[in-house]
Amino acid sequence: MPQITYIGRRLISLIPVLIGISIISFLLVKLSPGDPIRLLLGPRATDEAVAAVRLAYGLDEPAWRQYFVYIGNVLEGDLGRSIRYRLPVSELIVQFLPRTLFLIGYVMAITIPATLALAVIAARTQDRLADQAIRLFTVLGMSVPVFWLAVLLGRYFGAELGWFPVSGWGEGFTGHLHHLFLPAVSTSLWLIPLLVRNLRGALIEQMESDYVVACRAKGLPEGIIFRRHILRNSVLPTLHLLGIMVAFLIGGSVVVEIVYAVPGLGALMVGSVIGRDYYVVQGLTLAYAVGTVLVTLTVDLLTAAIDPRTGR
Amino acid sequence: MKPLVEIDSLAVDFTTPDGVVNAVRGVGFKVEPGEILGIVGESGSGKSVSCRALLGLLPRHARVGGRIVYDGRELSTLTPAELAAVRGRQVSMIFQNPSSHLDPLMTIGEQVAEPMKFHFGLDRRAARRRALELLEVVRIQDAGTRMNAYPHELSGGMKQRVLIACALACEPRLLLADEPTTALDVTVQAGILRLLRTLNRERGLSMILVSHDLGVVAEVCDRVVVMRGGEVVEQGTVTDVVRQPRNAYTRELIDSQPGRLEMSSGRHARPAPLLEVKGLRVRFARRGGTVAFGGDKTQGIDALADVSLDVHAGETFGIVGESGSGKSTLARAVLGLVDTSAGSIRYDGRALAGLDKSERARFRRDVQMVFQSPYDSLNPRMRVLDAIAEPIWRHRLADPGEAGERAAELMDMVELSPALARRKPRQLSGGQCQRVAIARALALSPRLLIADEVTSALDVTIQAQVLRLLARLKEMRDLTIIYISHDLAVVRRFCNRVAVLKQGRLMEVGYTRTVFESPSSEYTRELIASAPDLDALRGGAVPA
Amino acid sequence: MIDATAGPAPAPRRPGTAEIAVGGIILLGWLVMALGADWIAPYDPNAIDLRGILGAPSPAHPFGTDQLGRDVLSRVLHGARIDIWMGLVGVLAPLAIGIAVGLVSGYFGGAVDMAMMRLVDITVAFPFFILVIAIVGVLGPGLMNYFIALALVAWVAYARLIRAEVLVLKRAEFVDAARTLGFPHRVILFRHVLPNALGPILIYAWTDALLVILAGASLGFLGLGAQPPTAEWGVMIADGQPYVIQAWWICFFPGLAAVTLGLGLILVSDGLARRHQVDQ
Repeated sequence: MPQITYIGRRLISLIPVLIGISIISFLLVKLSPGDPIRLLLGPRATDEAVAAVRLAYGLDEPAWRQYFVYIGNVLEGDLGRSIRYRLPVSELIVQFLPRTLFLIGYVMAITIPATLALAVIAARTQDRLADQAIRLFTVLGMSVPVFWLAVLLGRYFGAELGWFPVSGWGEGFTGHLHHLFLPAVSTSLWLIPLLVRNLRGALIEQMESDYVVACRAKGLPEGIIFRRHILRNSVLPTLHLLGIMVAFLIGGSVVVEIVYAVPGLGALMVGSVIGRDYYVVQGLTLAYAVGTVLVTLTVDLLTAAIDPRTGR
Repeated sequence: MKPLVEIDSLAVDFTTPDGVVNAVRGVGFKVEPGEILGIVGESGSGKSVSCRALLGLLPRHARVGGRIVYDGRELSTLTPAELAAVRGRQVSMIFQNPSSHLDPLMTIGEQVAEPMKFHFGLDRRAARRRALELLEVVRIQDAGTRMNAYPHELSGGMKQRVLIACALACEPRLLLADEPTTALDVTVQAGILRLLRTLNRERGLSMILVSHDLGVVAEVCDRVVVMRGGEVVEQGTVTDVVRQPRNAYTRELIDSQPGRLEMSSGRHARPAPLLEVKGLRVRFARRGGTVAFGGDKTQGIDALADVSLDVHAGETFGIVGESGSGKSTLARAVLGLVDTSAGSIRYDGRALAGLDKSERARFRRDVQMVFQSPYDSLNPRMRVLDAIAEPIWRHRLADPGEAGERAAELMDMVELSPALARRKPRQLSGGQCQRVAIARALALSPRLLIADEVTSALDVTIQAQVLRLLARLKEMRDLTIIYISHDLAVVRRFCNRVAVLKQGRLMEVGYTRTVFESPSSEYTRELIASAPDLDALRGGAVPA
Repeated sequence: MIDATAGPAPAPRRPGTAEIAVGGIILLGWLVMALGADWIAPYDPNAIDLRGILGAPSPAHPFGTDQLGRDVLSRVLHGARIDIWMGLVGVLAPLAIGIAVGLVSGYFGGAVDMAMMRLVDITVAFPFFILVIAIVGVLGPGLMNYFIALALVAWVAYARLIRAEVLVLKRAEFVDAARTLGFPHRVILFRHVLPNALGPILIYAWTDALLVILAGASLGFLGLGAQPPTAEWGVMIADGQPYVIQAWWICFFPGLAAVTLGLGLILVSDGLARRHQVDQ
């Protein structure tokens, strides 16, 4: 079973990546200027108090021992404490995470059907009017700064027409849907073009491939050839891109969360960077990376499930 | 009898960025029920285009004119739905490259069953049952299990059999076979051709067989259409066309067949060994097994196992074998392009492993190679003259200016017009590219030239020219040539001695005449029997 | 007549030419405006005029004035300098690192390749923008630190692309031919492999320039990139956001500038891609 071996190999390959991620997030605090403990304890802390905490965190040990202390703490779920919120970082992440997840899910729910529809139309009307129009939309969509679009959409649909709220994330499921509509749409308007371009290319490549000619020679109707053969073969490369895009999206949600004052992980990240809340930055970076690794892992396993050639 | 297909003044134009190209003009032929019609021609002759036009399978930017009548019906008047009802049901098709013509994500059973669902309205189970029968008809062993296999799990020959099963599924009356065996090994080809003939005999299936290989057409077809440059130059029964060609081009085509080439294999070789290969073994790591995660290094495939042979100074030594035989690996091992696991290679009495730096440089000048693909073997960004001159000045045999002059002389020697000197490979034909590659290999005045399938990508008339050129250069520059090929007929005409390889092992080695007339291994016998032969005309012997 | 055509007009001689020309003109226009901002801009970009704050677009101030009465047009023109500079440095530095790593990694393989590719795996495990923010967070906000963060992170894409190309080219017969002819690795690598590997990378670089500029502007918007009062498009949009309801022009024009610049970059990239596709 080459696929089982593939999954095994894929899981083993996570080990060096996870180690690397932990080293980089460790270095983020290690290399930051200033004494994080002083920041943590505030300006009025005595030298003795600082020394005591340094000892507790093992900060006077050599770097490699500090790293192992850090790893030990992370594995126990201890990511340090926030200076600004006076809370454990892990608790903060758990508190802010649902809003970002909701936003990402929302974006996906808009993006995936829209991408499929636009790419299929573009590929089937290749180089004709509909395709040209879609191409114009994708080119424009890619060159628009997301935060700018978010500000303008907020001004028009929020302030001027009053259709949608422009800050916060609301109460209850429908409240979330209502509040996060503009953030989700602004993000989608940037993400859809990237995916449409990719899927259109894949579709056209598949439409011109030999097995499609063979299907025609068998006398299969065009609709069946498209659904049963072309679409399935084109999804593979786009699935891969979607994985990369979700990772991009995790980062991309940062700006819209700021523009629309959505209290999510992105807003927390930026606030912590500006407020020099190092342990939060460290913990968040680690969490983001682990999240991304899980997403790409899922995509790879899905691909393996669809494509019998995986692992060859 | 009413013809099954009648094509009249067929014309096909392609709109390209460089304007309109007439691919086919005024083509007309008929197929009678139950006959096999061959269409033969070189690349660009329009043979495949004509065949595809029949089923309306050309790309969107093609324009088709003329009359195509199938069974009394004019195909151009059909709606797309009516045309779909003809495709697969009345007329079906198989293709040159079986791998790319199967959907990689669908099991082969499903792909064979598919057309029956649409044309006959069979349900899934009935269609699968029929598919299993069909896979048995095309002689796929263990068809029950293979039903659930994906295309990548089958060999090339098996995939072609699957495509044939797809094509037979709805019992069509006409099968279009577009170069069905070109991508396959000669022994596999023989099997597929046998199958096609059986289908024709037992089911009365009419066929159009498109091929560049006159030998294949001669073995299988009743009548033949010869095409060139988009036009039909001659047609008639195979026997008439081969024995009494009326057209000059047909005659050239026949004379260029390797079996008919007039060629001396050169002076008798001096029996002094120039290259000695002893117990050579080359092992490749298994694909996918990465060294990183404790991949077992002992796991691997022997590309070559225990191969020993000598190449004598001044001879033309042939190496024949099918794909995976290790013939190219042997050449690459001699040149140090792959690492060897065991055995020794001695050149001019010295072991290659023990050469010092200056001896190595000397060996690099002495032994040169010409590769298989005309375009891939030249740097696409270098002009022809620069590519030929580069080795001369890099080896400090001349300054760049003088190297250019010598390169021009070499171009002249390989019969390339000086007008081509400033062109890039993309602007040349395949045959011209191979001449450039030969000139580049000769730039360092080598003693041993290794030619690896140098003509297999070329048309047969061009192949004949390149072979004549090699023979002339060999005399002129006193070369020793190792000629690697899958084509027995070429090797037979061209080489003094020959080695036969199969799956990395040496089957036999000896004088060409001995090997061909009384082969000592069973495999060599099979190989010789499988090779299509122009003189083995269907239906009877040929006068001497 | 069987008419299998869908009937599009015949394509121009070399595909992509139109895109490259239009995109090139846009980019050239921006380059001229950026370099000549001192002469073209009607006002000093940082000249504060508290009597003329939040002025709507008018003949004197075609793009209006901002909350400090600065001329938005002049600031957009001067901002082009910063944003184009970001695109230039932000692409060239990672490009150079990526080419070096990808070339060595792909051509020689083995342990070097293993190590490099693990490093790549680790870097791509972080969402690009998050890692950039984190690094800027450690080093402190500012343009220079953005460049450092990019150099640390963005080379990965180039290294992967180059490596993939080199792995294919390494098996090309003309590279084997070069080895057979006894050329040293240096010659094979730089004369035969690299020139043929650059195509896809140069196409990607134009799109990447867009991503780098947009990410840089985002950082400026978040207060982590170029610092006020520098005229940078992202910073200007952030400045204008509180006033967007009464003075939309402060936000609108810098964004529009970014869109047109981005359009130019994508068109060139698309055109080159089409051309490359045909050449293959």
